[in-house]
Parts: sequence; structure tokens; C-alpha cells
Amino acid sequence: MQYSGVISVPYKRDLRVNSKLEELPYILSWFNRLNKSLVPGLIWIQCQTALAEGFTNAVRHAHKNQNVETPIDIEVTVAETSLQIRIWDQGPEFNLQKKLQSLPQAADTNAFGGRGIQLIARLTDDFSYTRTESDRNCLLLVKHFLPSPPSS
Amino acid sequence: MNSEVKVIQPSGILDSLQANELRREIGDFVSAGIKYILIDCQNVEFMDSSGLGGLVMTLKMVRKQDAKLALCSLNEQLRMLLELTSMDSVFDVFQNSAEFDQTLVTA
Repeated sequence: MQYSGVISVPYKRDLRVNSKLEELPYILSWFNRLNKSLVPGLIWIQCQTALAEGFTNAVRHAHKNQNVETPIDIEVTVAETSLQIRIWDQGPEFNLQKKLQSLPQAADTNAFGGRGIQLIARLTDDFSYTRTESDRNCLLLVKHFLPSPPSS
Repeated sequence: MNSEVKVIQPSGILDSLQANELRREIGDFVSAGIKYILIDCQNVEFMDSSGLGGLVMTLKMVRKQDAKLALCSLNEQLRMLLELTSMDSVFDVFQNSAEFDQTLVTA
């Protein structure tokens, strides 16, 4: 597909942050400065929310026993009909699907926290958490959307 | 203004850190006899699940002491998060503070 405008699609952007919750405002504002013209507003907000949950999960769980300088790498890929977010941590191997299946299915309105994974499952169309060859874990979040109509 | 009502306006990102602070603050108000607490979210840009968890804990604490807690002026992200977690049925949510005031008048 040819685009004649200034928007280059797909695009990929990355960001490296420390393992501390205080990085969240920085990550969110970075994400919000990306080109969102092709992504429906609600989809963008859901992806932003999933990104926050993925990052805070990495800090709280994957990097629980690591020092603050341990990097967390974030990559956002926007294509014509999908938005993908990858978050790499250096924590131990972990079976996220198994963990998700062990949690109660229905939304528990009494729950206080620890529901980040369930929220990610609801916010995304697809997600996976895989071990990479460099002994890292990669959380992949995928959201699909219909292509926006040409503006002219 | 009704002396039993307190409006709180957090701002920025409502995460676990901010929600804990909010809970302490509201706990003090309720202990001091405040019956109605409104969290006006017009300056809240974003909330994550830990922030929401903090709000749920706050709601429980408030109800335990026979007071009421409501939210208003939620942006699209906050509304989306509440709906997705079915928390929109747990909290009293108002369009804005004027709508909340109206319920006090008619109560």
C-alpha cells in the first residue's frame, strides 16, 4: 500500500527504561508522542493501558529481585491494521498462560490488585510471554484494528 | 457548602503510589466525620490496575465507616478501565461535580 503523506507506516520505536515504577509517567508520555493518526482512539488508549500493565508487571514480578538499573526494553510497532508492543525483561522464565488459567475467570470486583495479567488479556487481541535466546523474556501485546479511510 | 462533603482532585497518573496517598487522605476525612467524598478526576490523565485497586480499597474503607465515595469527570481511559474490570457497577460515577451536587440536594 502506498502512502503519499508524511506518515511512514509501519513504524517501529523503542525505549529503554530502568526497573522502577517511577518510570511510568515517562513511558506513557513517550508513547503518547508517537504518531497515532492511524490508530483508532479507543485502541490507542487500550494499548497504552496494556503497556502500563506490562511494564509494571515486569518491575513488580520479573525484576523483583533485580537492581533498579536492570533495563526493561520497550518496542512499539504500528502497522496499517495492528499495533504491537514488545516488552523485554531479564527475569526468570515464567509460564504466564498457566498463571492466567489459574486465576478466576470472572471479573472479581473485590480484588485489590494482582490483576494486571487478566487486564492485559482483556485489553489485547493476542498476547504471549516467551523466553528469548538471550535469556530474556518478551511480552508481546497485539491489537488489531480496521484501516482508517484515506483523509483526502 | 455542606460540611459533610469533601471533594478531592488528584492529578496526573493514578497508580499505586498516588492511590495509597489518596486512601490515607480520605481515611483522615472519614475519621473526622465527613460523610460524602467525591474524587473529582478531571485532572487525572491515566489510571493503572494498581491505582484502581487502591480506589477499591478506599471504597471499602469508606463504606465500613458508613460514609459514601463517588467519582466524577472520568476521561476515556478511566471509563474504559472501569468498564473492562466491571468496576463501573461498584462505584458511583457522575459526569461532573455539578451532577454529584445535584444528588446531594435531592437526597
